[in-house]
Amino acid sequence: MAEPARPAAPIDLDVDALRAAIRKEYETVALDPGRGFHFHTGRTLAAIVGYEEGWLEGIPESSIESFAGTGNPFSLGVIAPGERVVDVGSGGGIDSLIAARMVGPEGCVVGVDMTPAMLERARRAAAESGIENVEFRKGLMEALPVEDGWADVVISNGVLNLTPDKGRALGEMHRVLRTGGRVQIGDILVEREVSEASKRNIDLWTG
Amino acid sequence: MAGFVDFEITWRASVFAGAPQSSSAEKFGTQGINFQARKAASEAEWDAALAALGCETPPPG
Repeated sequence: MAEPARPAAPIDLDVDALRAAIRKEYETVALDPGRGFHFHTGRTLAAIVGYEEGWLEGIPESSIESFAGTGNPFSLGVIAPGERVVDVGSGGGIDSLIAARMVGPEGCVVGVDMTPAMLERARRAAAESGIENVEFRKGLMEALPVEDGWADVVISNGVLNLTPDKGRALGEMHRVLRTGGRVQIGDILVEREVSEASKRNIDLWTG
Repeated sequence: MAGFVDFEITWRASVFAGAPQSSSAEKFGTQGINFQARKAASEAEWDAALAALGCETPPPG
């Protein structure tokens, strides 16, 4: 996979080092989801952010236990049968698999993630569940491997905060959406000012 | 280039409290949020949305 040229990030930060740190963190979530992190995961998290129990039925436990989002994209509007969905930062696949069930056989979902261990977990979960209208692609949120105007909906959950170039990531979401398409996103905000020194501290980005 | 319109944060909550390991979340008042927006249907809709903003926007590029 060709990585895009380093974005003109508004923060003076080693983007390659940041991505490596994030990959390492989420590789651990994929390989050892029960070890305990500085964020909630799995069914505990799903309850906190309001996932309906019915959404989780039929989703392999391997996807559920590696769930590490921060919100609930599905609470923002119905994802309808026949729609095309891109899941940015699909992780272990839980949101992509839920969306795939929602859009049904006439629709399809593309999950994009940069962490190989998460992609492997998501692909295994799709195979295990027999959900066929979903595909997982390796890629970056700053350079989505999806054609222009393909999607009706872009979902993402706890991912946008991990890039220092949110403008570029949002631009990619905009690019892959059809005219009038929508984003339904879970993420984070901070209520207190973050100093420039803190913005350059990679440890604070991942924890 | 047209952008997103109808942006709205619909939910926010403390999603890091009680996590197994401590983090910087409390220091920065970090909360989980849900937000939505829509790709403008036309340049005209985008221009109208920009004109309706009550704050300055940075120049493009």
